[in-house]
Amino acid sequence: MRWHKRLLAAGVVAAVTFSAAACAGGKVRGAEGTPQPGASQGATGGTADTTFVYVPNLDVVTDWDPASSYSNEIIAMENIYESLTRYNPQTKKAEPRLATAWTTSPDGKTWTFTLRPGVKFHTGKPLDAAAAKAAIERTMKIGEGAAYIWGAVDKIQAKDPTTLVFRLKYPSPIDLIASAGYASYIYDTTAASGDLKKWFGEGHDAGSGPYTVDTWQKGRETELTLKSFDGYWGGWNGPHYTKIDFRVTPELATAWQLLQRGEVSFVQRLNPQLFAQAGATDTVRTSQTPSFQNLLALFNTQSGPLKDVRLRQAVQKAIDYDGLVAALKGAGVAASGLVPDGLLGYTPGRTGRQDLPGAEALLKEAGYGPGGKPLNLTLTYAQGDSDQEVLITLLSAALDKLNVKLTAKPLQWTTQWDQGKAKDPAKRQDIFVMYWYPDYADAYSWFVNVFRSAEPVSFNLSYLKDSGIDKEIDRLPALTATDQAAAEKAYADLQTQIIDDRAAVAVPYVQNYQRAYAASVQGYVDNPAYPNVVFVYDLKPGA
Amino acid sequence: MTAPGALAPQLRRTPLRRVAGLDRLALAGGVLLALIVLAALLAPWIAPYPDDGGSATHALDALLPPSGAHWFGTDQVGRDVLSRVLFGARTSLFIAVAVLAVSGVVGVALGVVAGYAGGWLQDVIMRVTDVFLAFPALLLSLALAVVLQPSVTTVIVAIAATWWPWYARLTASVAASVATRGFVDSARCLGVPAPLIVLRHVLPNSLTPVLVQLSLDGGGVILTAAALSYLGLGAHEPTPEWGLMVQQGQTLFTTDWWAVTFPGLAIVLTAFAFNVLGEGLRARLAR
Repeated sequence: MRWHKRLLAAGVVAAVTFSAAACAGGKVRGAEGTPQPGASQGATGGTADTTFVYVPNLDVVTDWDPASSYSNEIIAMENIYESLTRYNPQTKKAEPRLATAWTTSPDGKTWTFTLRPGVKFHTGKPLDAAAAKAAIERTMKIGEGAAYIWGAVDKIQAKDPTTLVFRLKYPSPIDLIASAGYASYIYDTTAASGDLKKWFGEGHDAGSGPYTVDTWQKGRETELTLKSFDGYWGGWNGPHYTKIDFRVTPELATAWQLLQRGEVSFVQRLNPQLFAQAGATDTVRTSQTPSFQNLLALFNTQSGPLKDVRLRQAVQKAIDYDGLVAALKGAGVAASGLVPDGLLGYTPGRTGRQDLPGAEALLKEAGYGPGGKPLNLTLTYAQGDSDQEVLITLLSAALDKLNVKLTAKPLQWTTQWDQGKAKDPAKRQDIFVMYWYPDYADAYSWFVNVFRSAEPVSFNLSYLKDSGIDKEIDRLPALTATDQAAAEKAYADLQTQIIDDRAAVAVPYVQNYQRAYAASVQGYVDNPAYPNVVFVYDLKPGA
Repeated sequence: MTAPGALAPQLRRTPLRRVAGLDRLALAGGVLLALIVLAALLAPWIAPYPDDGGSATHALDALLPPSGAHWFGTDQVGRDVLSRVLFGARTSLFIAVAVLAVSGVVGVALGVVAGYAGGWLQDVIMRVTDVFLAFPALLLSLALAVVLQPSVTTVIVAIAATWWPWYARLTASVAASVATRGFVDSARCLGVPAPLIVLRHVLPNSLTPVLVQLSLDGGGVILTAAALSYLGLGAHEPTPEWGLMVQQGQTLFTTDWWAVTFPGLAIVLTAFAFNVLGEGLRARLAR
């Protein structure tokens, strides 16, 4: 989740361009979009006949370990690794992936999955129930990233090579959890002779997905390239992309130029103006999908001036929510609380409204505001994210009227996050702006990752420490599985506490995913449960 | 470099009187600069939407193309670009004047002392100057701006820190030659104290090339300030500043060209005006 969000932020900032240019010889062609030789034929071997070029604006890989990976690398990981199931946003259900079928006991505490037979890892070893059990158990044991998703699991049994049984502590939707974008990967735990984590860190993979790591050079523009895995269970008959390049391009305008020139296949995100232009361009297609991703402005509740809850509430009221959505021109919609529409926990009627007199009154009460002491606040946000920039511009202007000076620093994700996690509270920012999206189609992640107290600091960047709130958060998974009405109420109550009473966060908007990709890319469907991921194997390189 | 003949004995006889003899291009630069200064001074009265130069926003009017109501269009949060360009002139000219004043005073003071005193004092001052000059100017400014909090004051300090050595070196070389001239010797023989000689005789006669250099550098300072703001190290919202406007508008260039083009043109025109005026002054004073 945490990595995801950062990845999302980065992706948002940088238009990620997948260049779909098929390249004879395996290189990205700076071409005019003519079909590449081999593009229409199924690649049958390891030769790179067709390359899909994805352009993210931030670095791709921060953690190669499928157990703990929790950031931008999801765009690559989902093409390298597979989970038991995959979430379908149309049916709102989990569908077969490595598991072909599953059943649950009447009490919801035993789940039996039937695994796809004959699947092999990239290491050549068979992916059977024992291997799947070992992978999930390792992920749970390491307990980093999104490993919390397996919290309900008591024990896992491999009955036979194709039967995997989960015994739970409390009822939980394991089919949905197994579809998570993080921590759900099935991988070969015996891939390395030595330290597995170190082996992963060197850029190796042990997945079963259609692609495997070809080259990885941190810091290079084309940071990562993947090649097809010959032994993939889905086979390579019919047209498929056989290579994927990830080309890091921080500037949206540059990404758009690359796409126009046919050098890249897919741009993760453009600004609203470029997106409109893309929609009117023949060689490019666009897709707009409501997302589960919202922007969070996290207020420092532990140190600095915002320790005073009145000042946090004043900043909440200074945000021009309506103006922001208007200026985003389709890239975002109004948020109602922390949970986006479409997920359990979504609470209507919580949309923010700008209230400058209210903000002024709160500031005055604390001794600030017009005529009072000047207030200086620091804010950090994602470098190059033009949507976040609109928020910063509007907020700076509004606060300026209230005698509050906002110093906003655009930073690279790693720098921004490190500063947020600084041990010395004096080094931390007053306001941390980042995107968040769930690990699986459920609202729990916003609460457990962002607002549950945690030491050392990870994504709880409002530094909220409230054992009452922690306790409420811990009740959510079981409530969701057993009593949805009670869960709805718990989510609503928590949002009242976190947003209104403690004023730890403001939610400026929920993002719409606006993708642009080469017209030659066929079969692209955005799946908001896997933010910014393109399942490249499912695409057809067209003429 | 100024010819010996230009080193007239008295300041009151030097630069201003000669402006009348400027060539046409320099004159045009002067007129343009005067207009920009005027626009900056009168911004609150001539800007069509004076509030937009401050903290007003109108998100519903975001990115309107140029029209009768908004000659230069509007930016991402609906502010009138013309108004912000006019108010931006205040920020840019203020930075230019402040940087030139600070670096001019520091540079000339150190330079004239070094040039007149000679010996070890000159060596020390000049070596320090050399150290500063050894850094690429923008890099040093960038480093300073990163360490300090981004603001207009930071920009002024960061640029002035890299600018003064040029004036110090220039003044030192002129002052050294002035110090050997007859009227300085005479003063010394008459028992005039050294500080007085420096102030009364050496300084006034060393100023001409520095004044020319200052006018030439105005454009450079504005460009550097714009660069720092462009990199997010200078002025920040909602301060109207040309470099910041260019930075915010750049991704819109292919779709909403006005948001970046007009502040960009303002930078170009102002830098151009400073340069031709400075060049003209240099040519005139060298005659």
